[in-house]
Amino acid sequence: MKKKVIKWGFILLISGLAIGGSVVLYMFNQPHRDVQASTADYEMEAKQLVNEYLADAQISNDKYLDEEGESKIIVVTGTISEISTDLNSQKVILLKNEGEDAGVSCTLLPITNSEKIAVGDIVTIKGVIRSGAGYDEDLGLFEDVIMEKCDLIH
Amino acid sequence: MKKTILSLAVAGILVLSSAFSTLENKLVSKSGHVNFFSHTAVEDISADNYKLVSTLETETGEIVFSVPMQSFEFEKALMQKHFNSKKFLDTKTFPKSKFTGNITNLNEIDFSADGTYTANVSGELTIHGVTKAIAESATITVEGAKVIVDVELSITLADYNIAFKKGKPSTNIAKTIDAKVKAEFK
Repeated sequence: MKKKVIKWGFILLISGLAIGGSVVLYMFNQPHRDVQASTADYEMEAKQLVNEYLADAQISNDKYLDEEGESKIIVVTGTISEISTDLNSQKVILLKNEGEDAGVSCTLLPITNSEKIAVGDIVTIKGVIRSGAGYDEDLGLFEDVIMEKCDLIH
Repeated sequence: MKKTILSLAVAGILVLSSAFSTLENKLVSKSGHVNFFSHTAVEDISADNYKLVSTLETETGEIVFSVPMQSFEFEKALMQKHFNSKKFLDTKTFPKSKFTGNITNLNEIDFSADGTYTANVSGELTIHGVTKAIAESATITVEGAKVIVDVELSITLADYNIAFKKGKPSTNIAKTIDAKVKAEFK
């Protein structure tokens, strides 16, 4: 009888440790959020997103940014004013209309086929917002809304 | 009358040209890289950010870096979450970090001649809503129309109210981290 209790206790302890350990391991190695596979939180014109930030950055940060960095996934539509490559060899598209102070800067994922797009095209892009637009006195210029993990929807 | 018009025209041209020359002296870069590295006996942590915006005024030596904090990417998703959280950098409340400063040995740097120069930069660094005075040396490389600024700085986390007294972060995150900043002006 006593032997049986010890045996079952031992099995319970081992399986408890195994389950606990794998939960910790899973948490530690959890994958990054797949922005493209997730549902978009908002869909709007690039101009609207910029204007919301220029009107009130505080309210916009509350609305779009997440405490743990998993900020809102947004689908934005706008006109390409610039296509560049960053220091990580990623393509960056600036959505901005002529005469506007700030735009939306979108860093494309490597999977995106950006060969068929050109300056002047109107495109729809899905990605995660990292920071908002606004005038920075020290830089002496307007900063764009920053979006990353972007892909062309059309 | 003619004289007035003439002097007005001359004055106008002078104002215009000075306005254009100030524009020309200010270099703007949206192409940059910030890396930070934390080393402890337990683990090494590194993160990268490619969304740096910076300006360099070659006439006055004024230099500004603006870093969107949520653009830092870590290998492990959990670390990225911790980094952004209220316990660490609270990036929802403080979405950007900023450096504003001046090159103090501007006379030793010739932005019109190719070469590598050492610049002494001093100014204020704001992280996590805390501003501290810092002085570092930077490497400025001039290649034709391109100017590259490289700065390495060590940041003591406690200076910016990022402190861990106990638990895993206090053993796994270095008290002082190394940050590398690169900005490419074209």
